[in-house]
Amino acid sequence: MITRDERSAVRSAQIGVGLRAPHVAEVMATRPAIGFFEVHTENYLGGGPAVTALERLRHDYPMSLHGVGLSLGGADPLDSRHLSRVKRLVERIQPALVSEHLAWSVGGGAYLNHLLPLPYDEARLEATSRRIEQVQETLGRTILVENPARYLRFTRSPIPEPDFMLELARRTGCSLLLDVNNVFVSCTNFGEDPVAYLQALPADAIGEIHLAGHTTNDAEGRTILIDDHGSPVAEPVWSLYRLALARIGEVPTLIEWDTNLPELSVLLDEAARAERFSRAVADQERHVVAA
Amino acid sequence: MSSPRELERDFATALLGGPEAAVVREVRADGLAPAARVAIYRNHVFTTLTQALEATYPVVVRLVDPRFFAYAADRYIREHPPAGPCLFEYGESLADFLAEFPPCQELPYLADVARLEWAMSQAFRAEDAVTLDPRWLSAVPPGEVGRLKLRQHPSVALIESPWPIHRIWRLNQPGADPEATVSLDEGGVWLQVHRADDEVVFRPLTPGALAFRRALASGGDLKTAAEAASSADPRFDLTGALTELLDEGLIVGASATAGITPSTDRGGPRCTPMPRPC
Repeated sequence: MITRDERSAVRSAQIGVGLRAPHVAEVMATRPAIGFFEVHTENYLGGGPAVTALERLRHDYPMSLHGVGLSLGGADPLDSRHLSRVKRLVERIQPALVSEHLAWSVGGGAYLNHLLPLPYDEARLEATSRRIEQVQETLGRTILVENPARYLRFTRSPIPEPDFMLELARRTGCSLLLDVNNVFVSCTNFGEDPVAYLQALPADAIGEIHLAGHTTNDAEGRTILIDDHGSPVAEPVWSLYRLALARIGEVPTLIEWDTNLPELSVLLDEAARAERFSRAVADQERHVVAA
Repeated sequence: MSSPRELERDFATALLGGPEAAVVREVRADGLAPAARVAIYRNHVFTTLTQALEATYPVVVRLVDPRFFAYAADRYIREHPPAGPCLFEYGESLADFLAEFPPCQELPYLADVARLEWAMSQAFRAEDAVTLDPRWLSAVPPGEVGRLKLRQHPSVALIESPWPIHRIWRLNQPGADPEATVSLDEGGVWLQVHRADDEVVFRPLTPGALAFRRALASGGDLKTAAEAASSADPRFDLTGALTELLDEGLIVGASATAGITPSTDRGGPRCTPMPRPC
């Protein structure tokens, strides 16, 4: 269900950074050269100067609205009030991309402020597909759905995550947001092979890539990676990104940074590095075509 | 195996510090105890929700010390988790919680400082609204002004406290004179919080002006509001209070009961259009 070309405003080669409140004034004043900005939808569901600033920036940059609160993978019905607020913001900002997570966050009436894991089975696949369809119909556009960072698996979860995502895309027409850091974090936490994970995903369904930092922790003698978005992208994640680019081709890529937020220039440097890798893939592709 | 809804309820219970046995049974070890895996999620929930409360209540954090605040927040989160995904809307009941929290009884002004901080954070995010042109008011026949209902800007909040919370707030801002003190004997204050030119501000009102604005905010007409103000403050002057309100640019809508407005479709209350920025 594609009602408009949502990617038209973000070219595949473009690299973006997450826009966080402490950087807004500098971005407004300096208008850095960057492909697009992504913000957390839930931070802009009120009014006031934050939303006005976003509206102004929207004139100069493609925008991506990245939600954390729709609880797409949840068992309760979608929160219709929240969805209608998201819809109003989408209408106001006219973002190039709208994304959410393959996760749930509301249980027993409480919002838990975490992207929580779900068991991957046929019932959940069908339920999550229906919810994605409901969101897409309400918003009148396709959304991207992101693979979460995971710290646990359920005993009864027979479908591998990449297969589950592939099937979501097939059933609903949604795009996939490939968070390469989350792939590395989840696979490390379960002793799985991140390269095999990447190869299992359908390249043509991937509409955006996320890159971010993680922490390495010791839990009862076992290494557990935590996706905290609080440091530069780790070298193994850059390597995976290059592998992903080789497989997918150029795709809009975002540097995410949420905790221990550094100067804006640090984010822009990370974006420049992603752009070099992305351009190298494009050059290679042109070379192949020319040959 | 539990149903999806049961699994989520059990997981939520464990994440908010309750029993975890039901969800732990459903988790693979993968080389690490299932309970330790659940604890990773629980730690994130408490850490990030505490950070959200700290962001809304920086003066309260200063007044009680960050470590004590984290302890109080832990108790608060267990009892009052967020109801929705916008974290700037989380924590409205923290003031009531602190007022009842036994370790805070020695700081009787703390809950009212929290109410002020909550009002300020909500004012920053309140919906935008355009000031009503005051000429509309001058067109209302004088005998019918009393039945007018005025809508104030969505950012307006009214707070009264028996403590000098405005001074406590100012002395706990970055750059405030560390030698300055505030005496609790200074007495109470009647405050209005609102957003002006993208900034949240507050200022003291007379008791009469606060009662007047509060009555308007709860839907009373001008006559009712003036009566409420006069009983709060015998020196209350309606013309002065109304002029002050219009000068502040905080009236964003006006309505009157049928009979005094120009013709209405159904003869019911009529509202002036409220232009929105988009």
